[in-house]
Amino acid sequence: MSLSITDHMMGEEFTYSGAMIVMRDAAQKRLFESSDSGSVTELLLKDEIVFYAGPIITEKRVIIGPTTSARMDKYLGELYERGVIATVGKGPRAAPAVEVCRRYRRPYLVAPSGVAAFLSTKIERIELIAYPDLGPEAVYRIFVRDFPLLVAVDKFGNNIFERWEKR
Amino acid sequence: MIKTTVVERVLRKELIKANTVINDEVFDYLKRYNGPFCSALKENVVVSKQNLIPLCQDTGMLEFFVFLGHKVVLEEPVETILTRAVKETYVANCFRTSVVDDPIFQRKNTLDNTPAVVHVFHTQGNQMTVKFLVKGGGSENLTRLFMLSPTATVQEISDLVVEVVSAEGRKACPPLNVGIGLGGTADKALLLSRLALTKSFNERNSRHCYAHLEVELLRRINELHLGYQGLGCGLSAYSVHIEFFPTHIATLPVAISFDCYLSRRGVVEFVDNGSYDG
Repeated sequence: MSLSITDHMMGEEFTYSGAMIVMRDAAQKRLFESSDSGSVTELLLKDEIVFYAGPIITEKRVIIGPTTSARMDKYLGELYERGVIATVGKGPRAAPAVEVCRRYRRPYLVAPSGVAAFLSTKIERIELIAYPDLGPEAVYRIFVRDFPLLVAVDKFGNNIFERWEKR
Repeated sequence: MIKTTVVERVLRKELIKANTVINDEVFDYLKRYNGPFCSALKENVVVSKQNLIPLCQDTGMLEFFVFLGHKVVLEEPVETILTRAVKETYVANCFRTSVVDDPIFQRKNTLDNTPAVVHVFHTQGNQMTVKFLVKGGGSENLTRLFMLSPTATVQEISDLVVEVVSAEGRKACPPLNVGIGLGGTADKALLLSRLALTKSFNERNSRHCYAHLEVELLRRINELHLGYQGLGCGLSAYSVHIEFFPTHIATLPVAISFDCYLSRRGVVEFVDNGSYDG
């Protein structure tokens, strides 16, 4: 996978085609806090993009959109430690999480939120990776085409939300 | 008698509509938005309506407010009927099941989006009005309850609301709809703040001083420049509604609830014509 996704600067909008690991609250809690995380401890997160989301999977489509990233701030360092190259979600992250982005030189990207029907047209396929008992909170790999993203925090720690918060 | 089959049929239709067809008031604002991700937001409306797929993947935990006339006869408890309508709608239409059975231990997904939260208010007459909110978890997490000193000033309350929106509002997919419950007991204030979210954006409190405060709060919140997606362009909030109730001499409960930019809600009315043969 190309690492160029990490090079976009704060505020830049671009589209991405490729794979992402879909993983949100419950899966991250199990992965990072439980002694019983099973095969997923072996899950290779190296060079992956983690997308905070819980999809709806129908026969015809994958309906998906970002969830609030700040809830998973506490696991961000763990993700980057395991080689994740970027995270995708919605909304601002707390200052310590922005600092983690800067320290690991990894961007935090936002996808448009509340537009799952539109995003469903950008999903090519989905594979279940782990924790099927979690339903929409299981771990998946999705393959997307022309998926819209915007750099909220770039690898230097510049934060699009901060310019408003500082006022 | 109002037949179960009638209530279920109408509710199923309304729940699908609320999840897949954009609210007209929201659409009027969206048409004028030209900031980041504007084409995604606008195309979403079309894709969703054409294919009857949800506008947002978070199809919510359903909250119902039932105003049940004292002459209305039902075949079953209203909660049973509404829960079944949610279950059938969400399973049949592949809407996301976002409810877990217990909050701290197993958190096992119930896989049919039930239970729903149902509040019943007993009213005069032969009519049953069912209002509902399809609210996602992101906006729900912003809910706040403050038990202020009864000597708190209007200015202090206003500052408090603006502070909450300023600190947290970007997480809840703005532009927001803001519901404020003042007075009563703690639980009553929260409930009022939810009822406030069921109103149309342009509706104002009938009491002038409260209507004035609604307008003033909306003006202040929009000066925060949250913008669509929290990215600084466009509105911060569509509307602020306040609902109030008498309260204890020692208390001043202030509850604040938020809805996201989709403001997915509905209202349905049923009339019991007195006939038992349906």
